[in-house]
Amino acid sequence: MPTPTLPETTDPGTTGSRPPVARAPHDFFWAQAAGRVLVRRTAQAVAVALAVTVTCFIIVQRLPGDIAFRIAAGRYGYDKVDAAAAAEVRAQTGLDEPAFDQLAGWILDAVRLDFGTSLVTGAAVTGELGHHLAATLHLAACALLVSLVLGAAIGVLAAQSRGGLLDRLTDVWVAVARAMPPFVLGLVLIIVFSVQLGWVPAAGHGERGNIVLPALTLAAGLSGLFARVTRDTVVQILDSEQVRFAETKGLGRHVVLARHVLRNAGVTLVAYVGVQALVLVEGVVVVESLFAWPGLGHALVHAVFWRDIPSMQATVLALALIVVVVSTLVDLAVLALDPRTREVR
Amino acid sequence: MSVPAPQRITTAAPDGNPDGNPAGTPATPPAPRWGTPGRAVRARTARLLAGALLTALVAFALLGPLVWHQYSGQDLSQFLQPPSPAEPLGHDHLGRSVIARLAHATRLSLALAVLCVATAALAGTALGLLAAWRRGWLDQLLLGISEVFLALPALLIVLIFAALASGELWTIYLGIALAQWVEYFRVVRARSVSVLTSPAVEAAGLLRLGPVHVLRRHLWPELAPVLLTMATLGMATAVLAMSTLSYVGVGLTPPTAELGLLITEALPYYHEAPWMVLAPVAVLLLLLVGLLGLRSQEVRR
Amino acid sequence: MPLRRSLLSATALVAVSATMLTACTPAPPEGAGAAQGAADTGTSGAAVGGEALDVIGPYEVHSLDPATAEGIFTRLQVAETLVEADGTGELQPGLATEWAASGEGLKWTFSLRESAVFHDGTPVDAKSVVAALEAARSSEANTIAVAPIEAVRAEGNAVVVELSEPFAPLPAVLAATSTQILAPSAYREDGTVSEVIGSGPYRVVDVAPPARIELETFEDFDGQAPAVDRVVYQSVGRAENRALMAESGQADLTFGMDPTSLQRIDDQDGVRVESALLPRTIVLKLNGEHPALSDERVRRALSMALDRPGMATAVLRDPEIAATQMFPATLETWHQDHLEPLEHDVEGAGALLEEAGWQMGPDGVREKDGEPLRVELRTFPDRPELPTMATAVQAALAEVGVAVEVRVDNSSEIPAGHHDGSLEMALFTRNFALVPDPTVTLLKDYAAEGGDWGAMGWSDPDLLAAMEQLTTDADQSGTEADVAREQVATTLQQELPVVPVSWYRQSAVVNDAVEGFVLDPLERSWGLAAVSIKE
Repeated sequence: MPTPTLPETTDPGTTGSRPPVARAPHDFFWAQAAGRVLVRRTAQAVAVALAVTVTCFIIVQRLPGDIAFRIAAGRYGYDKVDAAAAAEVRAQTGLDEPAFDQLAGWILDAVRLDFGTSLVTGAAVTGELGHHLAATLHLAACALLVSLVLGAAIGVLAAQSRGGLLDRLTDVWVAVARAMPPFVLGLVLIIVFSVQLGWVPAAGHGERGNIVLPALTLAAGLSGLFARVTRDTVVQILDSEQVRFAETKGLGRHVVLARHVLRNAGVTLVAYVGVQALVLVEGVVVVESLFAWPGLGHALVHAVFWRDIPSMQATVLALALIVVVVSTLVDLAVLALDPRTREVR
Repeated sequence: MSVPAPQRITTAAPDGNPDGNPAGTPATPPAPRWGTPGRAVRARTARLLAGALLTALVAFALLGPLVWHQYSGQDLSQFLQPPSPAEPLGHDHLGRSVIARLAHATRLSLALAVLCVATAALAGTALGLLAAWRRGWLDQLLLGISEVFLALPALLIVLIFAALASGELWTIYLGIALAQWVEYFRVVRARSVSVLTSPAVEAAGLLRLGPVHVLRRHLWPELAPVLLTMATLGMATAVLAMSTLSYVGVGLTPPTAELGLLITEALPYYHEAPWMVLAPVAVLLLLLVGLLGLRSQEVRR
Repeated sequence: MPLRRSLLSATALVAVSATMLTACTPAPPEGAGAAQGAADTGTSGAAVGGEALDVIGPYEVHSLDPATAEGIFTRLQVAETLVEADGTGELQPGLATEWAASGEGLKWTFSLRESAVFHDGTPVDAKSVVAALEAARSSEANTIAVAPIEAVRAEGNAVVVELSEPFAPLPAVLAATSTQILAPSAYREDGTVSEVIGSGPYRVVDVAPPARIELETFEDFDGQAPAVDRVVYQSVGRAENRALMAESGQADLTFGMDPTSLQRIDDQDGVRVESALLPRTIVLKLNGEHPALSDERVRRALSMALDRPGMATAVLRDPEIAATQMFPATLETWHQDHLEPLEHDVEGAGALLEEAGWQMGPDGVREKDGEPLRVELRTFPDRPELPTMATAVQAALAEVGVAVEVRVDNSSEIPAGHHDGSLEMALFTRNFALVPDPTVTLLKDYAAEGGDWGAMGWSDPDLLAAMEQLTTDADQSGTEADVAREQVATTLQQELPVVPVSWYRQSAVVNDAVEGFVLDPLERSWGLAAVSIKE
């Protein structure tokens, strides 16, 4: 559901009316604030890991049906799964150990980043995770980059023609980007750009141009908020005293834009990347499934479908940790960019 | 005692939620807004339109199944029949009435969304109030738990639950509700703490007017508008989550009529029978636009 | 800002984004390619050379093990089996040039193709073939386990298989993909497969599970060299996606097409659809111990309630493949022209149910002794037409007063339900050509104690005798074998332990640039080595 959670009337607050003072050598406060962020985020990461591991374990314990049969279906395919295949699976995977020993083993293994073997492929989950993670990061980074540039640029343009056609079009864009389910948007893009126009490949991975449609689908959803935030920030800054003063001083509009606006909007945008991390991760799950992009999201849906719980555990953890890591980086970046946030609240 | 509102970094929150601002935009009183009359009027019109749209969809969801009650009846001889006066949206690939399936799907989506949001809002609000009232270890514990949920995107939580039992409604319900309670908890807790520590309430406490009075007179007026906005947003999220799950193949299973499922089923026929795929897509979009538009408080400069 | 200028900026913006996306795409494979290395595991080892043949199929690359790789590597002609089969199921030489049974059918000798070489350069000798077969035999779940094999050993340049009892379909079993022959260096110490080193015309360049395999021509292949040097196989799970990829011209060959999308693609320029009737049947498995379904009249009534041509038209988009009996016409020796076809007759079905004591209840559901006629039907979504077909069956049976609850779940729920007795009814497809001789599949499905994907709580002495005849009779084309096959087909038609619903047409979408493609109805090989790409 990677849309709607976004602040409607963003409130850049003091950012605009009081552009940040030049960086003072407050290294001590910076280190202290950064330390607080790191402690909080580490605690969060550990808690998430523990919660996910225990939940996955409970699910394995109470999975409906005979899990050996399910695994066999994943391994042998629907033409060949039968009692013999299930017996083979049961012998290979230690499904009969006592539950408590298994749980302790799971947690210990997870600490060592060992998520066991995939119930479907029989391969080590950690190895597969690397491939998936790389593919997902590739996609997410591209989408984020495109959405930032697209959103920021649209926002700046809209702010300049305040109340004008472009501004209103931006409103429409923001609304559409939010109300459009990513899978519907992706389908529309495939049908238009691949099937009808034949410009880019419809789905798949590893060929040139494969990334275009998934990245665009993801970026479209993200760009709405970025455009809105940029627009509001820019409008506010343009209205502020300093900028008016700068303009009356005779500085060209573009100079004003570059000097005050972009810098301040930049801080706000970086902060909102953190907000978007959740939206991004949800989008990744849907978009990867839609475009057969072999990343974490694709693997997760697959694992849920086949009840491949070790893979599910690993992919959920990886996706949650992406959220935590992005948030941490954003926290730190904001601390670095905007000195006021370093004060103890 | 004055306790700062917890900084909430990873999730966005709806309007006016002071915690919703990401790091770097400190929670300060709203900056003065310069409204242009044209915009304000447009925003009001938009909200009215959204309201009308939702009313129409709710009516369709409630009355539709009564008019077209045969949502699973098949008539293979009628497959892919184009729309006609009797069947405004034609028949699907199994000769079923598309409009009947659509009405049932809309009803299912709305009902599930209401149920999820009600559960999440009740649980989240209750826990938030409890945490704000009792403070101490209970507050810390609940805050800690909510931190975990903050790092887990809702879709992930719902997917984990979907693994429990495939294609069953309760797993989706539980998953969505569980993914959403945390927002209510964080918002209610933060707001309640600031209300409860305000001079007015401290005075009320001195007068021993009791918790009910504080809740009704001080907390509720403060919380109600926020909760309402969050609820419409939450419903949109729930509708989207359900259809997305069905679309990626781990949600409800055929022959249930569900919006995401209708889209998946109709997709291969988009060339031959476009009405089949356009109808559920349109309903899904309108539902989302309506829910999101309802809360649009477009006060802009 | 004037409108024109904003529009100009907007255009520039789109251009910038487009450039950025291009920057995101992996660089062409030549050069160090390290910059994107982590992200695009797929292209890292790409051979520079002619245009690659892009193949798209539904099978995910889960595993390299012959038993669990779903035959991907034999389809891609990387690995070979001892025996091959043509499109009709007729056995052909593979790695073995000839074979013969001796000693009352207990000893089979397979002479090997002397010139065959594995991709690691070692010759395909009897010793390595024996090792590969022993690896296959170590698993009870491997198809080879159906044959009563005592020992496999090397004898000069021949492989000798000793049996404990005669088993006529042995050569067909050795044509199953799970018995493919890999080089000794393909196995790890513990017997698992570390890489696929076969002896076919293509060799593996890179495998990136779960979605991608890259192949190139194997220079030392001892047969006809392939026309296209490079092949890229991509697995795409969703049928709609495969269709869209085929339609957009992104793929040269697309397998596993759903019938609906084919209708759309058929009219398009630039691609064509090849199809062939397949020895696969969609069937309705019935629990013979279920209080209602144990009655042969009820089973026949259910069969009569099905509007097979209607279902085939609506779901499979092809009225001709409505099943009239279990075996489709492609299985020439098994299909019986004289059998009375399975007909749609709602009234007849009602009458039969009445006769069996099931009276129509007030809610439209039949009942007997106060028990309503409700049945649970299990199916799975791996083949997209199955859930749709299941709802069609549900509607058809509702018409005669049988309430069916459809449960779409994992495919394993069917064999699991067979074993714990909870299965009532199941809809699935049965492939009679997993082993080119259907006898092997039927042996499992209609054994005395029933089979996971066949009869449940039902057996028939005449059918068992006929199967016995087919497994022991060395002369598979003789009259006695013909009589036995007729016996099997007739019994299944009369007793309906498993109700045939529809046959199958296998289709592939072929780009017009591709020449020389022939679709294998048995789905054994994709025939890539014979294909060429027009300039």
